[in-house]
Amino acid sequence: MAALVDGDGIPGIIVRDIRLPRTLLAGLIGATFGLTGAALQGLLRNPLAEPALFGAPQAAAACASLVIAFGLAGATSFAVPLAGIAGTLVAIGSLLAIAGRRASLTVTMLAGLALASFGGAAIALILNLAPNPHVALEIAFWLLGSLQDRSYDHLAIALPFMIGSWVMLGMTAGAFRALTLGEDAAASLGVNINRTRQAVVVGTAFGIGACVAIAGAISFVGLVAPHLVRRAVGSDPARGMLPAALTGAALVLAADIGVRLVPGPVEIKLGVVTAMIGVPFFLAMIFSERRLLEGNPAS
Amino acid sequence: MMAAAATLLQAEAVTVKLGGASVVDDVSLSLRARELVALVGPNGAGKTTLMRALAQLLPSSGSIEINGRPLQSLRLRERARAIAYLPQGHVFHWPMPVAAVVALGRHPHADAFARTSPADRTAVRRALRATATEELAARRVTTLSGGERARVALARALATEAPILFADEPTASLDPRHQLLVMELLRRAARSGGAVLAILHDLTLAARFADRVMVMDGGRIVANGLPTDALNPAQLAKVFGVDAVSVDTGEGFVPIARRPL
Repeated sequence: MAALVDGDGIPGIIVRDIRLPRTLLAGLIGATFGLTGAALQGLLRNPLAEPALFGAPQAAAACASLVIAFGLAGATSFAVPLAGIAGTLVAIGSLLAIAGRRASLTVTMLAGLALASFGGAAIALILNLAPNPHVALEIAFWLLGSLQDRSYDHLAIALPFMIGSWVMLGMTAGAFRALTLGEDAAASLGVNINRTRQAVVVGTAFGIGACVAIAGAISFVGLVAPHLVRRAVGSDPARGMLPAALTGAALVLAADIGVRLVPGPVEIKLGVVTAMIGVPFFLAMIFSERRLLEGNPAS
Repeated sequence: MMAAAATLLQAEAVTVKLGGASVVDDVSLSLRARELVALVGPNGAGKTTLMRALAQLLPSSGSIEINGRPLQSLRLRERARAIAYLPQGHVFHWPMPVAAVVALGRHPHADAFARTSPADRTAVRRALRATATEELAARRVTTLSGGERARVALARALATEAPILFADEPTASLDPRHQLLVMELLRRAARSGGAVLAILHDLTLAARFADRVMVMDGGRIVANGLPTDALNPAQLAKVFGVDAVSVDTGEGFVPIARRPL
């Protein structure tokens, strides 16, 4: 603590310039994933919605790695998050266009699966075409998701987009409550459905694009965080957004502290940890809610 | 007896085209205060599409006026305060508590900070009481039976306290007692000064409860009048393709469809 405030020399540098930006980024990225997950679940009225299931991080990663691979811009320029945002916009936009207004669970999941696979294939293509093996290796590691060696420069690049994302998603929260009645009933209650969709798509794109551009692919936080708080907020999709963001921040912070503390020759990547914990959680969730999911084939 | 009542909604030449075909074709109608109007017709006649067009949930041509003001000129919230819409199916996508669902009916009245006003609380309480769903208030909507869901969905629409209420098949999948309860509620909503338009498949309910019946077929209103006139056996044979008789129940005549033609 002393090193944080007035420490000189090595401890001060370590805490202020290495640990602090990493901690801040972990919290902010976790919060953004938690918030986007809660927003997508609210929009699609589906507790299994998650940015990664719809290929958003994959698309962001594909576009961002394209920029890195071909040296279009340095890794700490605004071009990387912008590319990530563009990729996410395309992915979520196509998802909503394909799944249509009714956003049925089956169609949404199938479209998301296809988009995620396409994002993966695009990344593979970029690795395939990478100008030299060092670039390919760099992208491959970056894709695993990590906050190692991230600085205030990264924070400065990502923060404006994250704030934009929080504002856009936060403004739509009230609409999610009405949307639990279906789109027609929500529209009849004065909710502007198109504007809500656009705000969620663009807000998610800003948030996920910026996060992925900085930290690589970190999956399942957006799924797990809203689910952990759902009972506590009485299943209210609007009231759950802030707690989901805070829980997301706590999850990524914990995972990042975990990867730093686990001893070993190489640091395990953050994205690997969240996926290793997230996937079993996801399966357990499907298992416990399968009756609900089966009983609701059309919605 | 309804002649003196104020016209709340006036629609002229409303047409809805979906994929090139006119699903609703040049429909003109009016809804007056204190009036419960049943909209009946065979499957695919365009009843739901007409209702959604009147609620401006889909684009249509023609003109729709509410209290003399064009519907298009109203802001979304103004329109939402004027027309409450109960879609078919009584679908709830999220396991919210009943009280929270009914409170959604107050969404059009909310201020920028979504604070609950005393008027909101009163309206929600009144809607819960009217639909006899008070004891369900703390339950999750997804755990309710079909009849309970239908009443909660109706409570949500009533809580808006809009002068015009549209209900799309409010009695579908309900047992006889709940059908009657819902129809009595709709009639009470009309008697308290509003206009209620309900899509019904049960011609007996339409004949017994509606002040006026509109019969729709092929996107057009083909009959519009007192239940006994609009639902006469010749009309039912033409529109529904059924052999029907009019039976005196002691409380008026109701149509009974005997066999398909």
